[in-house]
Amino acid sequence: MDFISLYPTWYEPTVGSGWVVALIATFHVLASHTSVGAALLFAYLSHKAYREDRDDLLDFIKKYGLFLMVFTYVAGSITGPGIWYSTTVASPNGIGALIHSFVWKWATEWVFFVIEVVGVYMLVYLVGKVDKKTHMKISVIFGMASLATMVIIVGILSFMMLPGKEQWFAEGGYLNGFYGTNTFIQMGMRMAFMFTMTAVVGGIVIASIKDPAFKKEMARKLGWLGIISTLTGAAMFQWYLTSVPDQALLVMENRLPDYFGPSVMIVLAGTLAYFIITMLRPQLVVQGFAGAMTVIILVAGLWPEETARESMRKPYVAGQYVYSNQVIGRDVPGMDIKSQLPTIEKVGILKAHPFTPDHLREVKQSNMIQAGEFIAMTYCSNCHSPSKTGIRPLHRYFPEGTSQERMAQYVKGVLTTGNIAYMPKMPMLDSEAEALAAYLVMNNDGGEAATSAAIDMEIEQRERALAEQKAADKVASVELMEGK
Amino acid sequence: MDAQNVAQVTEMMYALRNPAGLPTYPIIFVGLNVLTFALHILFVQLLLGTSLVALYGAYTNNPLWRRLGMAMIDVAKVSVSVAIVVGVAPLLFVQVVYDPHWYTSNVLSADWVIAFIFILILAYWAMYLYYFQNYKREDKTAEPKSRWSLIVSLALMLLVGFIMHSLTSQILHPEMWKEWYMQNGKLDYSGDTLHAYNFWRYAFFISMAIPVAGAMMVTYRRFKMVREDADMQYLNFAAEVGKKWILVGSIISTVLYVAWMMTIQETAGDFATSFWGIIGGVAVLGYALWAKLRLNGKSADMCSYMALPMALVIGLVVATSREILRYDILNGFFGYDFFDYKIVMDWYSTGLFFLTFAIVGGVVLSYFLTIAWKAGQTVGIYTPGPGVQKLGTVAIWVVALWLVQFFVVGFYVWAQ
Repeated sequence: MDFISLYPTWYEPTVGSGWVVALIATFHVLASHTSVGAALLFAYLSHKAYREDRDDLLDFIKKYGLFLMVFTYVAGSITGPGIWYSTTVASPNGIGALIHSFVWKWATEWVFFVIEVVGVYMLVYLVGKVDKKTHMKISVIFGMASLATMVIIVGILSFMMLPGKEQWFAEGGYLNGFYGTNTFIQMGMRMAFMFTMTAVVGGIVIASIKDPAFKKEMARKLGWLGIISTLTGAAMFQWYLTSVPDQALLVMENRLPDYFGPSVMIVLAGTLAYFIITMLRPQLVVQGFAGAMTVIILVAGLWPEETARESMRKPYVAGQYVYSNQVIGRDVPGMDIKSQLPTIEKVGILKAHPFTPDHLREVKQSNMIQAGEFIAMTYCSNCHSPSKTGIRPLHRYFPEGTSQERMAQYVKGVLTTGNIAYMPKMPMLDSEAEALAAYLVMNNDGGEAATSAAIDMEIEQRERALAEQKAADKVASVELMEGK
Repeated sequence: MDAQNVAQVTEMMYALRNPAGLPTYPIIFVGLNVLTFALHILFVQLLLGTSLVALYGAYTNNPLWRRLGMAMIDVAKVSVSVAIVVGVAPLLFVQVVYDPHWYTSNVLSADWVIAFIFILILAYWAMYLYYFQNYKREDKTAEPKSRWSLIVSLALMLLVGFIMHSLTSQILHPEMWKEWYMQNGKLDYSGDTLHAYNFWRYAFFISMAIPVAGAMMVTYRRFKMVREDADMQYLNFAAEVGKKWILVGSIISTVLYVAWMMTIQETAGDFATSFWGIIGGVAVLGYALWAKLRLNGKSADMCSYMALPMALVIGLVVATSREILRYDILNGFFGYDFFDYKIVMDWYSTGLFFLTFAIVGGVVLSYFLTIAWKAGQTVGIYTPGPGVQKLGTVAIWVVALWLVQFFVVGFYVWAQ
């Protein structure tokens, strides 16, 4: 048999599996970036507390650390593996490609995670229980370990867009895959963002400071940190765009919504204004205001940035060789990986997929809509929901009343040939293309209700045919036994 | 199942393997998987067991139990963190050699996989709520506030444990995967069902929370008794409860282990009566015997620091048995062997991990844990002696050098 590495499909009709991943990932970015930035800030403040013999700075670290522990460490440490969970179910081959190339890097990062978790408890609970010098040492180790987790993961995230170096395709090798121009620029960009997040979230802690002079000092410190990092981050993002493949820029120009550019500028201006206000009038920093700003920056700032990065990778989801629909669409001689497209072209997607039910392995008139649905789920649903809502719903792409003949032409002429820049090539046998077209037309005209009803009917007919066949076989065997 | 069906299932599992292969020998990943799982499950059991102590303490009027409950919720809170962070490792390694199984199992129950994340966050926050409501109160024997949140936390923790149990059980049933993907003749893309579980297996792993919490209470006494302000009446009470929990808990766990072995699936063959099937139960029962023999003193030199490491040893035996059970099913019955996974050897990343693990992890955690240990036993401010000070300086240098090598190697590769 010619099976390829395709898993069952998980389809979430309301928001789409892609958005589930994006929601969890965005939240994790907020939590993790804040904690890494805060860890470095703590190292600096702890050092200052030791040099200047100040208890107020240690109190600030304790308060900020406790806040981080309850919110970002709890939610951040769970949403971290949570990204694995969500990508495992939404994009198993995408995450599998990253895991199998970078398992040791993740394992190395894990060592630093353990240090971080032990470190954050010590940092918070040992204020006033160990001398300041020891606290400073703990803070410095904690800060550097946090930074280590950040720099490690960036190399892996960068690989999602493209391997570090072009040689990786020909020669393989972990180092070629991990390090590259995109890796280092993205690292700089994320480090800037993490200080911005630290400064914004820090506002919640500043709000609780009672002493006006200390409040002003910390508001100024975090304000400058925020302004410098926001401007640096914005500049780095522009630089980052020069390090992505041309294809990604094309997708960005064509596929990102019109509001993307203006919204980024508004968030940028709003963030800078917030820092300036907190520096000039620290008394205005109350918990509600600082908390609201955190949410605004999360929703309006991080969300478009993460969405852009995710969109720009298309049609690939990892390393420019795993398509977003999980098919391997390119040879990687350096890793002895073969494109799966020739196999699908030879036997069809239904026979190549290990999870195709036996009765759908060949398209017939009696299973047309079921087979079409199976193909749509496999090939399309990762990026396009077949439902009315969700991620880029399919029905938006076809005019009402599109004929089956026209749809089949589109499937054969565009999808099977890969003639759209940002969509994968999706090979199909002619019979499969017809089944997909039949399903798409029915979905377009009547939505899920119509396709579901049609599938119910196909199943009923199949079961009836099976029962009739069984009855006929029984009669035949009885006749045989009776010697008729 | 006939031979043809088995062959088809085996072929499917092999097809699902990631074509990128592994950067080193598969046995190393399996070994690390067993080791880190044993550590993870120990902290899971610790968090569940100490939560149970806290819950009992919260609902009883006995002042000693109240104090003990408040002390144990502190342990539970840290244990959740450690269980999560240590759990990342087996979650990583299972994806390396068992990717066909883990990914399929997860996708088929995807809604539960996603729910897992949110339920765990809620469980953790509920525990923190109880902690913050009560930790600042001077009188630790007063009736605690928000006791309901502790019940919520424990119930949700048990639920996430069950989800994880079900996902790992589904791994062991590749013959059912295609059937589970179909519901009432229709393909089911919803991922809204947990398809497999073994109540006894789940109950066994959960029940080990009792002896593990017992070990923690015994250790707690040993740790606190050297402080100048130690209240020995209270600490002796904690240790007596702990000893009882180890003894009774281990016996309960052994019974549940036997029940698990008796209900093991057919594809596991004769695993239940094999060496590894028997040794798991013997090890758990052995914990009760060990506790009876070794934790019999009442003086300061009672061998109580060994209680937790012994629990880890028992956990390692059980984790090894569990792995061999998986191998027996997947290889023994289906002929799927992780040993023949494609290897694309990468010495650099393999070496970097082990060096980081041993040197960075070893030095830094030695320093951190020494400080935490000493500070916990000191009344007032703890100032380390020159030896520990030096260890701290070395720890800083080790992490700094790691970062330097990361960038030096990176820039060199980039510039090539």
